[in-house]
Amino acid sequence: MNATVIDSPVANTANIARALRASGAELQITRDADEIARAPKLVLPGVGSFVAAMQWLRDTRIDDAIREAVARGAFLLGICVGHQLLFDTSDEMEATCGLGLLRGAVRRFEGALPVPQIGWNRVSARAPLFDGIFDGIAPETPFYFVNSYAARGAGDEIASADYNGPFTAAVQRERVFGVQFHPEKSSKAGLRVLRNFIACK
Amino acid sequence: MQVIPSLDLLGGRVVRLTHGDFATARTYGEPEAVLDALDVPRGARLHVVDLEASRSGRPIETDLVRRLALRDLVVQVGGGIRSVDDARRWIDCGAERIVVGTVASESPRLLSTLVETFGAKRIVPAVDVRDGVIRTNGWEHESAATIANVFAHIESLGIAEALVTDIARDGALRGPSFALYRQLRSMTRVKLIASGGVSTISDVVSLARLGNVSGCVIGKALLERRLDLRETIARLATPNAIPERVIPCLDVRDGRVVKGVSFTNIRDAGDPVECAMRYEEEGADELVMLDISATDRAQATTLETVRSVAESIFIPLTVGGGVRTVEDFRGLLRAGADRVAVNTAALRNPELIATCAREFGVQAVVLSCDAKRDGDHWLATVRGGKELTAVDAATWCQRAETLGAGEILLTSVDRDGTNQGFDLELLRAVTGILKIGVIASGGAGRVEDFRDAIESGGARAVLAASLFHDRVLSVADVKHYLMAEGIPVRS
Repeated sequence: MNATVIDSPVANTANIARALRASGAELQITRDADEIARAPKLVLPGVGSFVAAMQWLRDTRIDDAIREAVARGAFLLGICVGHQLLFDTSDEMEATCGLGLLRGAVRRFEGALPVPQIGWNRVSARAPLFDGIFDGIAPETPFYFVNSYAARGAGDEIASADYNGPFTAAVQRERVFGVQFHPEKSSKAGLRVLRNFIACK
Repeated sequence: MQVIPSLDLLGGRVVRLTHGDFATARTYGEPEAVLDALDVPRGARLHVVDLEASRSGRPIETDLVRRLALRDLVVQVGGGIRSVDDARRWIDCGAERIVVGTVASESPRLLSTLVETFGAKRIVPAVDVRDGVIRTNGWEHESAATIANVFAHIESLGIAEALVTDIARDGALRGPSFALYRQLRSMTRVKLIASGGVSTISDVVSLARLGNVSGCVIGKALLERRLDLRETIARLATPNAIPERVIPCLDVRDGRVVKGVSFTNIRDAGDPVECAMRYEEEGADELVMLDISATDRAQATTLETVRSVAESIFIPLTVGGGVRTVEDFRGLLRAGADRVAVNTAALRNPELIATCAREFGVQAVVLSCDAKRDGDHWLATVRGGKELTAVDAATWCQRAETLGAGEILLTSVDRDGTNQGFDLELLRAVTGILKIGVIASGGAGRVEDFRDAIESGGARAVLAASLFHDRVLSVADVKHYLMAEGIPVRS
């Protein structure tokens, strides 16, 4: 039941750590690239700017460490901007490259509803993959979102939500997971998602 | 639900009357020019009233209606239709549907004949109501027929849709009569076209949520550009299931929860951490913590309280009270707040909003506005409602949105602690001109108040303090009620 939280300065690491502990995890919180490269289970939090978050990963070589861990078969959960970083690119400031672990682009919301999205929104998980991190979560359960950008119809999408049109709320490709919402702010449903991730073997 | 622009015609031009009074007529120009200006999409339904005909009892603007029907619009025409011949005149002009008012309630036999002649789909009965009584003949006469009887007849004829206007609301921009449409929901299966008072996008969304409203006629609000037709249609097309939020508020002083009436007569009410945990358990979507000691005291206690509350819950936490500088803002975020509400300091230095939005993101910035009624508008107040400013509250909220506030926490100083209900007029004045969300605060006393703040006030979240703290109502009570009323909430 161990997990390693990547201690990004562009993240709300303390909140994520508290929620993970409440979900039964024993945590290492680190900025050490070697430690990250060897970790069996990683959590990549992130809030605010995709560009700043990616810049930090590059500067610290933690981007390579994450790729190495995933190549070795580690589990990885990206949260909010951490989820966005899994993709190829974001158009937050022109096109910025992400970790490229998942195919797809992150784009800004446009439409009648105000941007950023701030609040609860219903998440529809795809039925066949229901047993993963959404195990025990009822269809259309609301989770808490704060985002101006999102992936749309990503190839690895396992859950979607609708805000100015459908967007990708969660992804999974083998052992790499991402959630656009904030599980640490989504009360019981959020803690359940974290517990499911912690329980992944 | 269909949005139906409405044009009232008089002397070949588009006009608007207030409360049906011809003396108040205001002219907006030729119908074609108005349609172009409103950007009415092709194939849209258009509601046209021949005002002179409604007075004189014979079709007048037939040429105009013929021109409009040629513009790829589904035109429904009303005004003084009293016979099969009148109806045929309009249908020959290209009208798709005939709206009959006086006939619908005064001449049940003629209504039957019209349905037999033209088919139930082409007849739209119009029922105009004031204070629960049907009015006819250009609203000048009280009808002897009851609403229940009229709708029973309409339903028996197989008519699917009826236009219902609350006369007191028409042209007054005070919001539609949700109570009337809700009352009709339990009375008839006939779907309603709501008319009168629709003036915000939120009005349209709330009407759609009622379930028995299939269309809404909008006149004045479109003509006066309070509402953009395309934007309204786009908003209706977005999902209507995004949960509205119920937010308990902890007013904290020196590390204890307190509650005052109109910001005075403060009494002790408990431990913030215990309260916060209970509220999350009850289903609170978010917590607001307002530090009412921060204005005069040291910040250390406050930060400690924020830290311990933030550590005890897994829902978003907004903290406000005494935030003066960017550093105060940062300190509260570091202590575990997700969002910070600014009030007095932002009024004195509006740039604080822009700076914090740049530094911490729009989502972190909440403008707290304590508004006090002053005649027909509201003024922003500072120092917890104790000191009036010269700043118009609605204008100030709009400016805060431009500067980068992510949401507005709007408190009615007049209603706070009174349990008399939220100030719906204040809410409408602010939500009607903003795109960002408004949290309604001040005055909650009954479950219906929360519904009204969202439905009629246009709030995206509802907040209460003492009501929840004193266990008059639980968060769960409010959410169950809202859900039963068709307002989406997180269960």
